[in-house]
Amino acid sequence: MESQETGAQRLPQRIIALIKLLFFGRLGDYAQAVPATIKASTPAEIRQLLSADHPALAMQLSEPQVLISVNQMIVSWDQPLADGSEVAFLPPVTGG
Amino acid sequence: MNTIRIQTQDFDLAEEYQKLRELSSRVGAVVTFSGLVRDFEVDASIDSLSLQHYPGMTETLLQEIVDQANQRWQLIGSTVIHRVGELLPREQIVFVGVASLHRLDAFEAAQFLIDYLKTKATLWKKVTQDGKQHWVDSKASDHEAAARWDGIND
Repeated sequence: MESQETGAQRLPQRIIALIKLLFFGRLGDYAQAVPATIKASTPAEIRQLLSADHPALAMQLSEPQVLISVNQMIVSWDQPLADGSEVAFLPPVTGG
Repeated sequence: MNTIRIQTQDFDLAEEYQKLRELSSRVGAVVTFSGLVRDFEVDASIDSLSLQHYPGMTETLLQEIVDQANQRWQLIGSTVIHRVGELLPREQIVFVGVASLHRLDAFEAAQFLIDYLKTKATLWKKVTQDGKQHWVDSKASDHEAAARWDGIND
């Protein structure tokens, strides 16, 4: 995608992947106006991108008990994301 | 034989118990637990409860919990059923049943399964009360109950 003239292609490439977003429990209430997909390289970046238009949601996502899964596996906030990944934000569970 | 089911429909306690009994002639103990929809506060009754899950992931996490139980105790079989969707007070939400040779394995494994299910499986409760909805907060007592199993090995 980068222009051959700029030399940008020689820099370490950060993959910007198209991600499917899911918000569970109370997070879903805050995420009603969030698009179904987003372009981002990590879950942390998703949170940062959402903070502009959805500050209340971003604040909820910053709660330490919130877990993130990528393709249904629990991961850390800096997990690199591949195109087509499904990222879910999971508040503390209350089943049983 | 381990069974895990996420379903909207109710379950039949006698039927699930019978299935565990019939797993093997070696079954000497069956312990079952069933959880019901109840009022959350003494002075207020709820209208209904809504259970949300993460299809696929919830089943995977429950399988991991069942696998751990099988590693820790000598079990012949287990059944975990969790209902999702809209539930009314006094309805059944969750079933845990364990069949083993001896009672101690069945008692402990059943308690472990429900304790871990409550704190690790991706399920969320939303209460409707006086026409208003709110998500249920996780309870410290549930995490303490689950943590009791963390440091114990066999």
